[in-house]
Amino acid sequence: MINILQERERQVNCGTEPFRMDCDKHSAAGSVSQRACVFCGSRVVLYPVADALHLVHGPIGCAAYTWDIRGSLSSGPELHRMSFSTDLREMDVIFGGEKRLYGALTDLIGIYRPKAAFVYSTCIVGVIGDDVAAVCKRVGAEQQIPVLAVHSEGFKGTKKDGYQAACSALGELVGTGPTRDIGPRSLNVLGDFNIAGETWAIRRYYERMGLQVVATVTGDGRVDDIRRAHGAALNVVQCSGAMTHLARAMKDKYGIPFLRVSYFGIEDMSKALYDVADHFRDAAMMERARIMVREEVTRILPEIRRLRSGLEGKRAAVYTGGAFKAFSLVRSLRTLGMKTVLAGTQTGNADDYQALRELCDDDTVLVDDTNPLELAKFIQERGVELLIGGVKERPVAYKLGVGFCDHNHERKTCLAGFEGMLNFAREVHATVTSPVWKLIRSSRRETTAAPLDQCGHDCGRCTLPMCCGAPVPPANAVI
Amino acid sequence: MRKVAIYGKGGIGKSTTTQNTVAALAEMGKKIMVIGCDPKADSTRLLLGGLAQKTVLDTLREEGEDVELVSIRRPGFGDVLCVESGGPEPGVGCAGRGIITSINMLEQLGAYDESEALEYSFYDVLGDVVCGGFAMPIREGKAEEIYIVCSGEMMAMYAANNICKGIVKFAEAGRVRLGGLICNSRRVDNEREMIDEFARRLGSQMIHFLPRDNDVQRAEIRRQTVIEWNPTCPQADEYRTLARNIDSNQMFVIPKPLSIEELESLLLEFGILEAAAA
Repeated sequence: MINILQERERQVNCGTEPFRMDCDKHSAAGSVSQRACVFCGSRVVLYPVADALHLVHGPIGCAAYTWDIRGSLSSGPELHRMSFSTDLREMDVIFGGEKRLYGALTDLIGIYRPKAAFVYSTCIVGVIGDDVAAVCKRVGAEQQIPVLAVHSEGFKGTKKDGYQAACSALGELVGTGPTRDIGPRSLNVLGDFNIAGETWAIRRYYERMGLQVVATVTGDGRVDDIRRAHGAALNVVQCSGAMTHLARAMKDKYGIPFLRVSYFGIEDMSKALYDVADHFRDAAMMERARIMVREEVTRILPEIRRLRSGLEGKRAAVYTGGAFKAFSLVRSLRTLGMKTVLAGTQTGNADDYQALRELCDDDTVLVDDTNPLELAKFIQERGVELLIGGVKERPVAYKLGVGFCDHNHERKTCLAGFEGMLNFAREVHATVTSPVWKLIRSSRRETTAAPLDQCGHDCGRCTLPMCCGAPVPPANAVI
Repeated sequence: MRKVAIYGKGGIGKSTTTQNTVAALAEMGKKIMVIGCDPKADSTRLLLGGLAQKTVLDTLREEGEDVELVSIRRPGFGDVLCVESGGPEPGVGCAGRGIITSINMLEQLGAYDESEALEYSFYDVLGDVVCGGFAMPIREGKAEEIYIVCSGEMMAMYAANNICKGIVKFAEAGRVRLGGLICNSRRVDNEREMIDEFARRLGSQMIHFLPRDNDVQRAEIRRQTVIEWNPTCPQADEYRTLARNIDSNQMFVIPKPLSIEELESLLLEFGILEAAAA
């Protein structure tokens, strides 16, 4: 039995009344958070801008571990897939990294001729105090392209602060491009990252409704589109945690209203399209949206019904970055006849958790900024048969012999939109009904029946409840 | 080998005092190495007659890891071996990390090996113990006795008290101890008595009172220690006394830093604050 850390007790809710949940705080020491650092937060948001140069100012690890970090597709240039680094070393730390940054930036811009450059600050840069903004300004003036400092020193806060740093950098680009050919029926798609081509699907829906999509930020993103994004009549924001800052800033500066949407699941996808049509108060557009939704749903529903019959009553756990995706997943799972018994997010706020509490069953466990041990505990305690999450959650599920569905950066399947819902249903069905779990579960039962204070090696050295890791000695070995 | 570090408020005369004391010790026939731990790299100027010493960090930066001891260590007055750690220009990089890197480098190169037959190594450290890097010389295995240069001026005493706090932190884990306060006189009223009392309250001693003498400046302008410039002048004897006191010192303590209130009441007692108020 695993206990919840005392500092985290208020970040876990098992349905007790009155509802109150802590969130928006730094990860507790000793809890191996599933959350990334400030720098990583900035990196995932800006990464899909495909014709920009992304330079990580720091030791090589920061760039290596965020190299090609999400499966964001580009319909054109793929400069974003490179991970450039200033590779700061000991002497750079002592003497300062500004010259090295200047050299790297100048060389890279000369070689790749990008439309803009993002320079990410890492922890050590914050400690030694390199004036990154000054170097960016100088190189920008010399090279005649926007060079943007992303103030994402890892220790500065949570992943969310990284989103904010990314949005501030994007905010510097917005408003610097021409807007002449942008009509009144226009919008920007904010907070979709074109994983497996999802932004393309969303763009097609909006275009079928007669809308002009000005910029997709940042999925399949282009610097020139972002520069003229202030010409659009509406911002449609998915991934609330990441992009609300930018939407808010554009509302304050350019008076552009924004809508919060989600593109996952039949309900949320349809609602997004209707909300947008409603916003423009255009009856013809609304009619086009209705026809499109009807067509799409009619097309996918028969197969979804068929898949649902094998999933009825199965128990799922959901752990996402932002809260809007969690809402959509709970609804999508319901569409498939499944129950969400555990739901959590890395970056949800108080309002999000209130909404999640209302959306979920009374006894669904809610967790904020959870860790592998808590996840494991609740997965076992609640008999979860499917965990939906990202790369860091995958091993938790597999170690417990539970099915896993990737709904994060690395996946290769489009899960957004109507077609995405069908893909999601197929993936969930294939995972949950796979015969492999029966084999794993039965072998796990056998393992747990063995005494836990031995490693099974018979080496006489192990008192830990797990294997000592030493190679098994041959039978005649003298220890 | 005696491993000594000299700390004290910026501008108090650490480098001058260190070099003059080292010159006096060299005169006594001691084999000594001085390691300047200030990015300005001016801790060995008087011993080297103003010769520019290539710093450890500049050498590392330019020549990579294959540094040789002879290229960063130069003999000065009385065959004192002089090393400058060096560091970044003002306002960039991390000087503290520079000191860590440079001392590690010296150890790797065998600068402290027994074969070197050193009797003393002196670290001359910039100002206060501002961060982990500047505390490097007082960590385990580095300097074991600390002398703090101070005067009867209030800020110099505050700084000395602060440095004692740093020593306490490292003394608990290692062998570093306070050897005493060196009063480098600024001709403050009751200075000798006050620093004597301050040292006593810290649980230590005033190891010597250096009177103010313009001969120090006269020697400095010629890029020399007083001992070298005019061995017969009275100030040269003062440094000889300080050197002898250090050489024969037996009193090494973990200091008891004063609270701000205690420090201020000490200043009041000796009439400094009162004089300022009037």
